[in-house]
Amino acid sequence: MKVMKFGIGQPMRRVEDLRFITGKGQYTDDIQPKRATFAYVLRSPHAHARFKISDTAAARAAPGVLLVLTASDLAHLGTIPCNGVPDDVDMVLPDYPVLARDIVRHVGDAVALVVAETLAEAREAAELLEVTYSSLPAASGITAAMAVGAPQVWPDVPGNVGYDTSMGDAVKTEAAFAKAAKVVSIDVVNNRVVANYMETRAAIGEYDAKRDVFTLTTGSQGVHGIRKTVAQTILKIDTLKLHVKTPDVGGGFGTKGFVYREYPLVLEAAKRIGRPVKWVADRSEHFVSDAQGRDNITTAHMALDARGRFLAMKVDILGGVGAYLSAFAPYVPWLGMSMATGCYDIGSFFGRTRIVYSHTVPVDAYRGAGRPEAAYVLERLVDACAREMKMPPEKIRALNFVTPKQMPYETLTNRTYDVGDFAGALKAALAKADYAGFSKRAKLASKAGKLRGIGIASYIECTAWGDGEEGSVELRPDGTFLMRVGTQSNGQGHETAYAQVVAHYLDVPLERIALIQGDSVQVPTGNGTGGSRSIPVGAAMLTRASVILVKQLKDLASDILETAVTDLEIEDGAIRVAGTDRQVTYGQIAASPKASKAKLKATAEFVPPEATYPNGTHICEVEIDPQTGETSVVGYHLVDDFGMTLNPLLLAGQVHGGIGQGIGQALMENTVFDGEGQLISASLMDYALPRADHLPSYDFETRNVPSTTNPMGLKGAGEAGSIGSSPAVMNAVIDALYRGYGITTLDMPATPHKIFEAIRDAGGYR
Amino acid sequence: MQKISMIINGRAASGHVDSRTLLVQFIRDHEHLTGTHVGCDTSQCGACVVHVEGKAVKSCTLLVLSCEGANVTTIEGLANGEQLHPMQAAFREHHGLQCGYCTPGMIMAAVDIVNRKGHHLDEATIRHELEGNICRCTGYHNIVKAVAAGAEAMQHDHAAESAHAHAAE
Repeated sequence: MKVMKFGIGQPMRRVEDLRFITGKGQYTDDIQPKRATFAYVLRSPHAHARFKISDTAAARAAPGVLLVLTASDLAHLGTIPCNGVPDDVDMVLPDYPVLARDIVRHVGDAVALVVAETLAEAREAAELLEVTYSSLPAASGITAAMAVGAPQVWPDVPGNVGYDTSMGDAVKTEAAFAKAAKVVSIDVVNNRVVANYMETRAAIGEYDAKRDVFTLTTGSQGVHGIRKTVAQTILKIDTLKLHVKTPDVGGGFGTKGFVYREYPLVLEAAKRIGRPVKWVADRSEHFVSDAQGRDNITTAHMALDARGRFLAMKVDILGGVGAYLSAFAPYVPWLGMSMATGCYDIGSFFGRTRIVYSHTVPVDAYRGAGRPEAAYVLERLVDACAREMKMPPEKIRALNFVTPKQMPYETLTNRTYDVGDFAGALKAALAKADYAGFSKRAKLASKAGKLRGIGIASYIECTAWGDGEEGSVELRPDGTFLMRVGTQSNGQGHETAYAQVVAHYLDVPLERIALIQGDSVQVPTGNGTGGSRSIPVGAAMLTRASVILVKQLKDLASDILETAVTDLEIEDGAIRVAGTDRQVTYGQIAASPKASKAKLKATAEFVPPEATYPNGTHICEVEIDPQTGETSVVGYHLVDDFGMTLNPLLLAGQVHGGIGQGIGQALMENTVFDGEGQLISASLMDYALPRADHLPSYDFETRNVPSTTNPMGLKGAGEAGSIGSSPAVMNAVIDALYRGYGITTLDMPATPHKIFEAIRDAGGYR
Repeated sequence: MQKISMIINGRAASGHVDSRTLLVQFIRDHEHLTGTHVGCDTSQCGACVVHVEGKAVKSCTLLVLSCEGANVTTIEGLANGEQLHPMQAAFREHHGLQCGYCTPGMIMAAVDIVNRKGHHLDEATIRHELEGNICRCTGYHNIVKAVAAGAEAMQHDHAAESAHAHAAE
């Protein structure tokens, strides 16, 4: 097929940008319904306490107050479900009520909802609620919760361990360790982080009494999943009695995909007062009301032979889930374990995964969800192996990689990598980074009193597995096209990327192809955006729909032009008889009496048979000032295999953003609870987000090997940047500290303070 | 409630406000100009940057009553009708935005950087000058490119100069 000028592979500028750069984007808080009322959620200041609300009368009587809801008003509602229990795991699912009943279990646990004419009135009235807390001992974080005699988060979960499961072959692995020439071990902490999308969550609840239909407007990652859970499980109504809409979304990163308490709350409140109810989180609230990310403590061991081949690996993950089980919380560490062996061909494997409750904010999927944690452990371990074996880190990787000849490759964690050339990506990345020239640069830095380090991370991850997407493409009466897809852009640019697929087949400018997403009525089904699935699944579906539509339109054109279909070709927004100027435009086809709705619309479905496996190598170069402990990222190079590139501009954007989050986690971001479970990093004054001068430019290129699990060869790219980056940065930091001070380990975030202390403990600056 | 009047994007705006009202609340809730965003509650993120008397300010840091008679430009007032301001065009051309939430503040801050620092900006200057604006999507790479290109383009762009003059009035 010829290359269409607006189509697949072109660096098209985004159609959605025009509204965003002119201030015409519409996010949930920009919607101001008539007669809107404003909701405020009263939250617990304690990490663990028994509480009683003795008086609500004063709050109810306060100026402007329309409604006060506490748990006792919500007995008819279901609890927030957890849908992410791994298949092979049997576990207790503790209650996650819409409002806390009798006991609060983390700082920020929702206690009451106040609705008033203005937000200020709702806030002021909330202060009049008489809530008596008797504080209880709190288990603040994984280590505290695992201690003997730790306070229990749930009475029916002894020891705070939610599940304890394993993967792999323990006997074979132990046998391999017993005869290893060398065993290398590491302990790493994957620090808890906060999504911090720039648009905080918001929700508007409306209720149409005449039709008995609720409408929820919220910035989500897919309306259909939220509709199902909120309607069926929480409100206990028919799914079609709830309409969920998502306007523009100001960032999601996984964390906006879940059902949160405020969604049923604004709907319940709207029904009770007969007016729209709007709730918008402020930034500090985001830190305690939205699920957080990562939070693992992991021990890993590698058994090697004398040449440096990996004989066997053992991994033990403790995954913090916080106080309540958010939507996919139990699945995330399990998913990470399923990618534990990464790019390497390892003789045998055994992994143990436990999830741990504590009196902290819930944890759930955040960009990469388990896969960044897995890559971090493995790539730190591989670097430790290289150091102990006195082998160059690139050599030990190349020696142990799964090779293209071994594809398809069955991992010891029950996955099948279809394709990939890990050594090829590593080699290309080493060249881009001028790896050979590093020692010269390190010497120069040393003369200037700085420590230089270089770090490699070769990662593989899994994307776009599981559910499919069903959607459609239709020709509208005005000759433009309309796509309906059940995924949800949170900023990725689906309006452009998807339109490129349709443009590729129909040869029309992107401006003539519109996308409907984020509406559970106008898009009948969908599985949302997450796990980097939108392009590999959504675009694959649109390919199928476009091909069907092309056939239908050519059939119509054949009728109209009275010419055989085989003589027709698509060119410049029209179907013409090849080699002539006889043609019919899409507008004319749509207006033709021969056309019918059915002939102008094509519906298709794509269900991925297996995940796609994007992979690549990140190389980070850092310079550390040993006197202050400050780290600068002075070089960042990476080569990724995304199978196929739909839009190189958008692809690079996804990669850049992921790296930014990975560097943030590695060097700055940290979620800190004190011993009592108080969150002491709950604002942008306390939680360090990377700014422009903390981050470098990125030198990125693709080295694609098409995936075999979807018709376009695509592999998901939304999360990969965050997966390769944190280990590359930390390997670079440790490399610098090892060269200067013999330091072999350091946990994220590598803040100046932590590096300063590590240098001090290693004998101090010299 | 107190009376407040100002000029926003060249048009008179007035209303009666609670004395606690912030400029950003007046712009969004009273004037319904929702392109100016609120991203935090500690004046860290810069999603709310507008120009007051031609200078970039975080509109969450000003009580609206302190802006009596002020000349305010928001993102909605930057383009010259249908013609984009060169900085807006540069953000699109260089894919300097993803979710778009920080973008209005970024663009307003970027125009202010050019007004103060000129049209030829190196990467270090741009990165340093953007310290008051947070983006969580792009990793800044393309924002930095967009600001550099937008700064160059502003030099010879008539629309930009007239908008600048208008803002500085």
